[in-house]
Amino acid sequence: MHPILTITGVSKNYGKLTALDAVSFEVPAGAVFGILGPNGSGKTTLLSIILDVLHADTGKFSWFGNSPQTNNRKQIGSLLETPNFYHYLSAVDNLKITQAISGRGGSTDIDEVLRIVKLDERKNSKFSSYSLGMKQRLAIGAALLGNPGVLVFDEPTNGLDPVGIAEIRELIKTLAASGKTIIMASHLLDEVEKVCTHVAILKKGNLLTAGPVDEVLAQEDIVEIAAANNDVLESTVQDMGGFTKVKKHDNCLQLFYPVGTAQLDGINKYCFDKGITLQQLQLKKKSLETKFFELTND
Amino acid sequence: MFSLIQIEWLKIKKYPAFWAMLIIVLLTYPAANLMFYNVYLDITTQKGTQMLAKMFLGNPFAFPETWHTVAYISSFFVILPSILVIMLVTNEYQYKTQRQNVIDGWTRRQFMASKLIDVFIVSAITTLLYALVAIGFSIYADTFDATKMWEQSYYIGLFFLQTFAQLSIAFLLGYLIKKAFIALGIFLFYYLIVENIATGYIRMKAEKIGGDLGRYLPFEISDRMIVAPAFIGRFGKDIKTAYEKSLSEVPSQIALSLLLTTAIWVLCFFLHRKKDL
Repeated sequence: MHPILTITGVSKNYGKLTALDAVSFEVPAGAVFGILGPNGSGKTTLLSIILDVLHADTGKFSWFGNSPQTNNRKQIGSLLETPNFYHYLSAVDNLKITQAISGRGGSTDIDEVLRIVKLDERKNSKFSSYSLGMKQRLAIGAALLGNPGVLVFDEPTNGLDPVGIAEIRELIKTLAASGKTIIMASHLLDEVEKVCTHVAILKKGNLLTAGPVDEVLAQEDIVEIAAANNDVLESTVQDMGGFTKVKKHDNCLQLFYPVGTAQLDGINKYCFDKGITLQQLQLKKKSLETKFFELTND
Repeated sequence: MFSLIQIEWLKIKKYPAFWAMLIIVLLTYPAANLMFYNVYLDITTQKGTQMLAKMFLGNPFAFPETWHTVAYISSFFVILPSILVIMLVTNEYQYKTQRQNVIDGWTRRQFMASKLIDVFIVSAITTLLYALVAIGFSIYADTFDATKMWEQSYYIGLFFLQTFAQLSIAFLLGYLIKKAFIALGIFLFYYLIVENIATGYIRMKAEKIGGDLGRYLPFEISDRMIVAPAFIGRFGKDIKTAYEKSLSEVPSQIALSLLLTTAIWVLCFFLHRKKDL
């Protein structure tokens, strides 16, 4: 099966500034693919290139295994950067234009997507009269028009209130569960961690890592242990070996092991044999936030 | 192609400035022509000269001359549809819909073709209004003579071409400058002031510089496809010779207009294919 999107060595410069430097990765079918990076890392530039809005200086990409010249974008629902609509037209008229250009969806689909993004009561109001959140909802509605198999979202929760953010997160989960491929750029790491199956992290135009979330995060096992006296515990486990480093963290100790080598029962037995009863013993996954800061901090 | 027309019509038909332009044109064309009609009436009703003037001029607002006269007078007001065309293209930048249309599935070529269609639609509607005014005046100014009705109707084509050529220049400015007010300012300044001064100056220096090169200025190229009717033309002492010379230049002005307009659109298509949106 072809990947939905293949990016090969894509670079983009703005004068002396390198916005993207030979970025390559693949987005498999059915993935919820998060693209992360600090401001100015090249996320939007990358999405603009794969949507044909910007030209790459070098490198190439292909959707569905096709060349960029084919009608790929008509099969992709996209929200790039800001909601872009004709200010003097209503939501319905704007979506009629989206529909006519993309060929996605029939006559009843416009009402359906406006209902999904909760704009049905204001569907005949001019776009210029919408709040920021409503504009963002309309852009998401336009992307959903005709139920495309692939969705590209650039900061989809921008401008939304907390309820709106939760709703969009649920919507993305529902869409992912229905087998759609979703490519999403976001600052909200917690959000990405909750919904994404794959992740790519960019910094100053360089791709730091890309792959399934579990693989990206799980480069080491972290075991958290605690006892009545953590100082005694720390000096005791120094002789145990097997881990790469030990660190005090809040009211516990963190032992770092190479991936797949931490044995919880062995640790428990070692401590017990040394006369220490553990009050806490837990294998922790590294959070995306931790990993993100680890990778992107200079 | 039909799909592009449909989409552009969706954008235009609910754009308030479009209807405002239409109403202003509907008021301006008859009013301006009425003013010149009154000038003509004044000339032809003055004692002593009236018979001579009538013999020489004929009735410029009757068929078939109405096509020529109304085309010439109405063409002064190309500024009205030009403002609309500049708004239509700069809106696409302001709303970032020039990006969105491509994201949604258009090629860059289709986007530019849609803008070409916009200019075509506005030119066609302007031409239709001109034709209605020309017919209206001939009925108002003279007894309706259907046998002569289509004699000089090629002026409909010339009016369309002139409007299309000049709106294409307005489009190019809007397309390159992107900001509505700056583009409008430059357009008005050049159209109303710079080119008029340049044309007059070049005409004054015509003998020194080897001919009236003013006819190669962007708006003059198409302006001179429709020469001034005899009763308002400033052809100097030798009216007949000058008028005939102007008429003899019309075919070359048509060719130049077609060339310039084609060059403008080739440039726009080329730039849009190359640049980042």
